[in-house]
Amino acid sequence: MRLTMRRALGRGAGRGLGRLPIQVGLTFTVMMALVGLIGFSFADTWVARRVDHSLRNHAAKYLALGKGRPVTDAVVAARILDWQQRKILSQRTYVLFGADGRRIAGRLDIVPPPLGYSNVRFHAGGRATQQGRALATRLPSGSLLVIVQHSEAGEALHALLPWVVLALSLAAAVMGVAVTLVFARLIAIRLAAAQETADAIAGGDLSRRVPTRGLDGLFADQAESLNRMLDRMDDLVRTQRLFASNLAHDLRTPLTRLRGILRNGADDPAILERAERECAAIIRIFDALLRLAEIESGRHPAAPAPLHLGALIEDVAETMEPVLADHGGALATGPVAPLMVSGDADLLGQMLVNLLDNVVTHTPPGTSARLSLVREGGVARITLSDNGPGLAEVDRARVLHAFERAALPAARGSGLGLAIAQAIVRFHGGTLALDDARPGLAVQIRLPLSPPGAAADCAAD
Amino acid sequence: MRLLIVEDDPVIADQIGRGLGALGHEVRLAGTGAEAILMLRQGDLDAVVLDRMLPDLNGLSVIDQIRRDGQATPILMLSALGSVKDRIEGLASGADDYLAKPFDMDELAARIAAIARRGVAPVEGVRLEVGRLQLDPSGHQARFRGRAVTLNRRQYSLLAHLMRHADRLVTRSMLLEGVWGYAFAPTANIVESNLSRLRTALIGIACDPIETQRGAGYILRSDRCA
Repeated sequence: MRLTMRRALGRGAGRGLGRLPIQVGLTFTVMMALVGLIGFSFADTWVARRVDHSLRNHAAKYLALGKGRPVTDAVVAARILDWQQRKILSQRTYVLFGADGRRIAGRLDIVPPPLGYSNVRFHAGGRATQQGRALATRLPSGSLLVIVQHSEAGEALHALLPWVVLALSLAAAVMGVAVTLVFARLIAIRLAAAQETADAIAGGDLSRRVPTRGLDGLFADQAESLNRMLDRMDDLVRTQRLFASNLAHDLRTPLTRLRGILRNGADDPAILERAERECAAIIRIFDALLRLAEIESGRHPAAPAPLHLGALIEDVAETMEPVLADHGGALATGPVAPLMVSGDADLLGQMLVNLLDNVVTHTPPGTSARLSLVREGGVARITLSDNGPGLAEVDRARVLHAFERAALPAARGSGLGLAIAQAIVRFHGGTLALDDARPGLAVQIRLPLSPPGAAADCAAD
Repeated sequence: MRLLIVEDDPVIADQIGRGLGALGHEVRLAGTGAEAILMLRQGDLDAVVLDRMLPDLNGLSVIDQIRRDGQATPILMLSALGSVKDRIEGLASGADDYLAKPFDMDELAARIAAIARRGVAPVEGVRLEVGRLQLDPSGHQARFRGRAVTLNRRQYSLLAHLMRHADRLVTRSMLLEGVWGYAFAPTANIVESNLSRLRTALIGIACDPIETQRGAGYILRSDRCA
């Protein structure tokens, strides 16, 4: 057991998560790089719009200096001078060019830009070339007012871009891998119990079940359906074991008797005859077993064809009536409806013979039986009822299993008759049930009726 | 009769040989399929008991070869495979009868006798006659010395089967197969009960030709139909 578990754990660790963390990490990286680029371009556009807006506002302020009349160069130049004295450190700079292109006011050393918005480069205070956004407006005098905004924010943003994207991508990659590992660990914890249970069962402990405590959602559902499957398997295995032990018992009994008989000496012909009878009993069990296996595994060469079930019942009744009469009882039929089913005549015949066999074998002499066939919706219902002592409810459930017989001391037969009958009914997609006939036992068999077309074909024959 | 037993198991072969020898048959043994085919080509055999599982050849292919040679010698196939499917396979391959192991010696002897003397296949619907006992298919009636009794279908088929095999042992399982077509062995006394009904009906017309061979089967005696 311990060995099994260690092997299982080793197997799990060896296989690990494979390429999954790398794949998830890469996906995260690409996604975050995209998010960074999109985010940056949005921010960039937004900042540029803000700059343009502010430039337009300031240009409008200067144009309005004329107070209703067209503003003059002198007023503007004075205002620029005043601005320069008050705001030494400003992002905004004003330059006024005359109509001839000569600089009238302002300290910024640039060539006159074209009208409207443009990007300009300039030198300021001996520093390296700086970038700025310029708005050139024509004054009524013909002079050119240029307002330059040095957008430090925008520049900083541009400088930051590659680093931001790289950092985001790296963080995403690390996070992707980490999340995958954590997620996998969480799933592994949930699945570990199921895996351990499966290994324990593979090791032979069929009583184990997957613990459902602490599981939720999909995992709880899966554990529950696994447990349901295990219950069914356990049940099947137990039935199989019971079958095997019953078989062993049923074969040991005649074999033991046979050995006893043979030890008593084989000179006596009466003893030889008894020995032969015991052999026949053993062979009968094997024949019935073979037959049961043949039907249950579907190896019986059955050719389901439209079958007149009523006629088959009458036929079997004709054969079995003398047998029940010799048993001191009687076999009556009726009502027998003319119903068609799709089935194998040999198998269904054997089923009816087996059931009538049971009446003769398992009831006291003088028991009578009645066979009837009625239509019940889409199914044909065969009822075989007898007026014998019947079966206790616990026995009714039990006797349908192979080798199970009611607790009757005198019960004989292969112990497989009902099991074979049930296998035949199941083969035909029907059901077999045992009911209380008050008194006696009623066997109810329901078989699906064949479609009307098939019945018509057969009736025409 | 001259019989060939093809069986590789020496114990079973010896058992069959002694059993059939005791009944007055002349028995030859073959242990392999090739040997069997050789002995069959020499001819002069009334019937063959052929095991299905042979060390060299499958029993089915032995039949195949023999039949292709144009040999019509009746063959009874013996097999440990007793399922309905195996049986059908055996009969379809050209065997005249099929018997599952383990079997009863009387059963084997009766079946060999039945296939060896079969001759022309009996035609259904033809009036059967043994001595003064007549079976009329049109009215399902048995007649004997001017008296008649109507039989039900089972009794009719039973009597027909016994009359076709008159003076020979017909076992219970032969009747179950031949009259009822049952390939399984019911525990109830289907054959006994139905046969006793038939016998009662025949006694009604002062005819009692069926003799019970205890534990083995039945014989319809033609001298009792005179």
